[in-house]
Parts: sequence; C-alpha cells; structure tokens
Amino acid sequence: MNSSWPAEIRAILWKEFAGELRSRTGLVTGGLFCLVTIVTAATALFNEDVNKRGLRDVCCSQIWVIVLFAAVLTLPRTFLAEEEQGTSDLLRLTARPHAVFWGKAIFNLIQTAALALLVAGLFVGLTGLEVRYPAMFLLCLLSGGAAMTGIVTACGAIASRAANRTLLAGAIALPLIIAPCQWGVAGLRSATGAGFPQDGWMAMLGLCAYAALTLLIAPWIYATIWKS
Amino acid sequence: MVAVSNVGKRFGHRWLFRGLTFEVTQGHGLVVLGRNGSGKSTLLKLIASLLPPSEGAVRYDFQSPRVDIGYAALDLALYPQMTVREHLEFCGRVRGCPSRADELLELIGLARADATPSAQLSSGMRARLKLGMALQPRPKLLLLDEPGASLDADGRELVAGICREQLKSGALLVATNDPQERAFATHELELAG
Amino acid sequence: MDLCHHLEKLKAQRYLFGLLVAGVTVWSFLVPDAAMFQHPEFARIFFWHIPCPINQQIFMLVGAYFALAFFLTPQSDLRKRMLCDSRAEAALDLSMIFAVLTIVSGMIFSQVEWGIYWDWDPRQYSYLIVVLIIGAYFAVRAAFPDPERRASHSSAYVLTATLPVFFLVFVFPYLPGIENNSLHPSGTIFGGGLKGDYLYVFLTVLTLVTWISVWLYRMRVRANFLEFELANGQLEIHRSLAAPATVVRPVSVSDENGKQTESPRKADQGVSGRE
Repeated sequence: MNSSWPAEIRAILWKEFAGELRSRTGLVTGGLFCLVTIVTAATALFNEDVNKRGLRDVCCSQIWVIVLFAAVLTLPRTFLAEEEQGTSDLLRLTARPHAVFWGKAIFNLIQTAALALLVAGLFVGLTGLEVRYPAMFLLCLLSGGAAMTGIVTACGAIASRAANRTLLAGAIALPLIIAPCQWGVAGLRSATGAGFPQDGWMAMLGLCAYAALTLLIAPWIYATIWKS
Repeated sequence: MVAVSNVGKRFGHRWLFRGLTFEVTQGHGLVVLGRNGSGKSTLLKLIASLLPPSEGAVRYDFQSPRVDIGYAALDLALYPQMTVREHLEFCGRVRGCPSRADELLELIGLARADATPSAQLSSGMRARLKLGMALQPRPKLLLLDEPGASLDADGRELVAGICREQLKSGALLVATNDPQERAFATHELELAG
Repeated sequence: MDLCHHLEKLKAQRYLFGLLVAGVTVWSFLVPDAAMFQHPEFARIFFWHIPCPINQQIFMLVGAYFALAFFLTPQSDLRKRMLCDSRAEAALDLSMIFAVLTIVSGMIFSQVEWGIYWDWDPRQYSYLIVVLIIGAYFAVRAAFPDPERRASHSSAYVLTATLPVFFLVFVFPYLPGIENNSLHPSGTIFGGGLKGDYLYVFLTVLTLVTWISVWLYRMRVRANFLEFELANGQLEIHRSLAAPATVVRPVSVSDENGKQTESPRKADQGVSGRE
C-alpha cells in the first residue's frame, strides 16, 4: 500500500500549485518585486545606449541581481509557509522527506524559470538590450535558475524551523548563490556579444553541473533534519 | 504493535518524562492521563514519529508508520486553501492508499461540506476532518489526542464508535482527561507531570 | 580539572613555541629577497599569508567531516552526536579565523605589491564570499536555542555549504577568464615556485601555524563540549528537575452494554518510572 515516488512527488507538486494559485502570495510578491526593480534599473539607464560594451556588462549583472533577490524572496517560502501555517506535521505524518523536497524543488524550479524569463524579457524590452545569441541567453537563464533553486530551496528547508526564519533563509542563501550568479553573468555577457561564445557555453555547463550536484545532495540533507 | 522502551523526552533542560516502557498490541486501548503540561500530547507525537525521543526507542512491528499509524490532534494544522475533499485525496495520494473520500465524508458527517476550504470550517468540523484523515489508511494503530475536545454530542458519539471499531482490528492510544473517553480503555497510563 | 591540568602541561610547550616563532621570523628576514616581486623585500609576508588559506580549507573539511559524522551517529547516542557537533563548531571557528587572516594578510600584500588594499581581484572577493558563507553558519547556530536542533541544522548547513566553498577556493580562481584577470600569483606552491631557503621557511611557518591551530582546535572542542556536559550534568544534580514517576495500570473493561467484566485484563508489560 505504498505510493510510488513519482505519484508522491506529483501530489506534493499539485499541493504547491493549488496553494499558490489560490493564495497568489508568491506570484504577487515576486512579480511585483521584479517589476519595480526592473523599472528602477531601466530608469537608471534612461537615455543611455545599453549596447555599448561597458553597459552591456552592467545590464547582464543587473538582470542576475534582480533574479537573485527575487529568488531569495520567493523560493524559501515553500518551506517557511509550512512551518508558519503549522502544516509541516501533516506532511511528516503522511509523506517521505525526499518526495517532499523534490515536489517543492520542482515547484521552485518552475517558479524560478518564470521569474528569470519575466525579468530578462522585461529588461530587454524596456532597455533595448541586444541579444546576439537568443538560445544561449535562454539556456543560461534556465540553468542559472536551476543552480539557484537547489541552494535556495535547501536553505529554506534549513531555516524553516528557526525563530527568525524569513531573514535567516535569505541571509544564508545569498552567499551560496553568488558563485552561480557570476557564472550566469558570464553566460549572459557572451549571449549579448560582450564576451566569447565558448565562455558562455562553459558557463552554462558549470551552472548545469552546479544545479545537478546541489539538487542531488540537498534531498539527503533535508532528510537528516526532517524530524529533528 | 508498538513497543516503547525506556523513552524520555526533554525540552531544553526540562524532562517531561523518562524511563517509559510499555507495549501496545492488537485489541489494546491505552488511555494516557495527566494534568496539563504532563506530556500526554508529546508522548503521542513521539509514538507517531513526529518527534524523536531524547532517550530510549519506539519500535513498531509494522513496516511504515506513515501508513499504519493514524494520528489526529487539536494542534494538527490543515491547509487553509484546500477543501475537505482535497485534504482526503491529498493524504491518500501521498500515502499511496485509496482516498475513500466519499466513504469517509459520510462517516465523519462532512459530505455536505466537502467543497469548503478548511479555513472556513468550524473547529468541530476541522476535528472531524482530522479524524477522517487519521482513519483513511485503515491504520493498525490509531492515536487520538483529546478527540472529543471540539465536538458536539454527535461528534463524541462518532469518536466512541471509531474507538470501538479500532479495538476490534487494531490498537488505540488516546490522550484525554474526559471520563467518557476513558470508557474504552483496557489500560491506563498516568503521567505524573 | 582535565582542562586545567592540560594548561599546566602546556606552559613549557608555550615557551618552546614562542622561541620557534621568534626563530623563524628572524630566519625569514635572513633569506634573500624574492626577485619576482615589485618590492622584493616585502614579499616575506607570503610566508604567513599562504598557511592561512591552507588551514582554512583543512578546518572547513574537518567541519564537514564531523557534520556528516553527526548524522551518521544514531539518534540514541546523544553524547557522541553532541561531541561531533562540538568538533564541527570548533573547526568552523578556526576556519573563519583563518579566512579573515587570509583576507587581511592578502590586503597588506596587495597594498605593498600593487599599491591598493582592495581592487576586487577575483581571489580577494572569492575569499570574502567564503567569509560570508562561514559567517552564515554562525547565524544558523544563533537562530536555534535548542542545542540538539541547533546541532542538526547547523550540520546540515555545513554539508550544504561545503561544495560552494570548495568551488570558490579551488575552481573559481582557475577558470579561464578569471585567472587571466587576476593579479594574484598562481602555481607558487604546486608549480614549484618555492625553492631552497624559501621553501624551508615556508614549511616551518606552515608547521608552526598548523601546530597552534590544532592546539586551539582541541581547546575549543573541550570548551564547547563542556558546556553541553555541564547542562546535562545539572539535570542529574537537581532532583527537582528529575522526571516525574509514571504508572501504567490495567482497568476493568466494559462491554457494549456497559457491563463490567469480572476480572481486569493485565498489562502486557510492566512499567518503570523514575523518581
């Protein structure tokens, strides 16, 4: 009478989507944050030709900074909300820790991809930044988002039972995702023509490897604190 | 069914209880008594494997506590946006057992409120839903923490019926101070607190 | 008592250690100036700079090892688990100290060599991020008042953080675009950059720094674990904090009609309670 892993993960994923679509807290918070920061950034670049070499680097960094802070703001909520609502006991009674982590991580992956595409799309649209290699641009955003998701989700799980959980989740996640963020900037630089294409593909390879490693290790770490 | 061996639990420097050793087998109904703060709910959480013991061990003779143990308590929170039926279906999918939503909704008397989000339920209705979720996997061990606390007379009658049925096919552990709920006990455990 | 006795024994060792440090300091000024640097006479700072990141990484790995050991120890063996946690915490304490010393000594070298304390060199800011990551470990510890939960969550964080730290120290500085843009010399040790007297002085300093760091580590472990043992010991000393007695007793069973059976069922197991 035991569920299969895919069925259990699907059930957790469905719960996350249902909760998010009905409450819309993550969508509203993340979306509003992205919109406000992009408008601020675009305003700061008002009347500048962003396709000059130096400014292209700045724009690539700005995109990742906005995605980074949006991710830190929204992703840990999948775990923090369970503790705040008190529903973590219900999960512990019925589900297995790996399935819970994977269900929430997949939800976060989709959320991060949506945020990254929204941020990049709006930024490019508002500033007129030229994208020389669109496929590389897109893949870099997705792989960078995946790299961030693994770390930020794990940090959310670790911080979820702390007293000052919201602040702590952000504080411990930020230093850990600066490194993948740098790779992401390198990838976007190449995609916008500010760097060499091979550097961009190398950066993406690094991001994918980083994402794979963190998403492999994090469920085991979560299982160790599951019932502590 | 479940064997508790030299179990103790502390929070910080304060021990709630130590050296508890007992066994609950099929047909046993153990009622846990004690004053407020004596550790009744904590003991049930330990047996439900929601908390680790500070010392000792809890051993089960079944494979999976999450399928073979049913647990219902006042402080067990529900997802505010999910409806009554969705709670039962979610628990069934995650546990890998049939949700039996229709059957359970009839049993717990929430068939008419099946599409109501749990945030809009009264405390008594929430208590009934928790009973339904606890009974869903047809548990070998049923743990109830103050089951009649929020319930009306019909609800308490429902709890009594559930307890009698559970004793026929499995084991029962109830934490309570209600004399009515002590009626189906075969053993009593009093935590001095 | 064991700690005090240990400190007494160390008095002689402290004098010896002091003499050795003085000796190697003098030796470092006697070796010829390093020709490849802009200010060859000031390059001697790297004798003290290079052991810092080496020790930082060693203690980071020690911390990760004991964090893993914490989770591999059965939950029933609380004492051993808390000892693992004490060791992990002590290791991360020292890792933080050496990370800060790496940055400070690196800044001094940067000022001397290139005329600027901080120029966002990739090596500099990768170590700054390492300091932030290790600092977050202490933030996690501070966020949990319960010692067991503090131990488990901080150990989980150490295991999460080990990969990024490893990447920042061993991979990031050697990436193609990064290495070319860095002023920091590379291949000094493993590329055979140190020879003759320079190598001997460096190895002596490395040995001394490692010696004192191991001594500090052991002291710290003892202090950390003493806190836990004192807290545990208080529970045995003060009877008022002892657990109350518990009793399991059989009761007579009523059938469905409310009629009581003639004899009560007996409990299957006896119960022990503590007074």
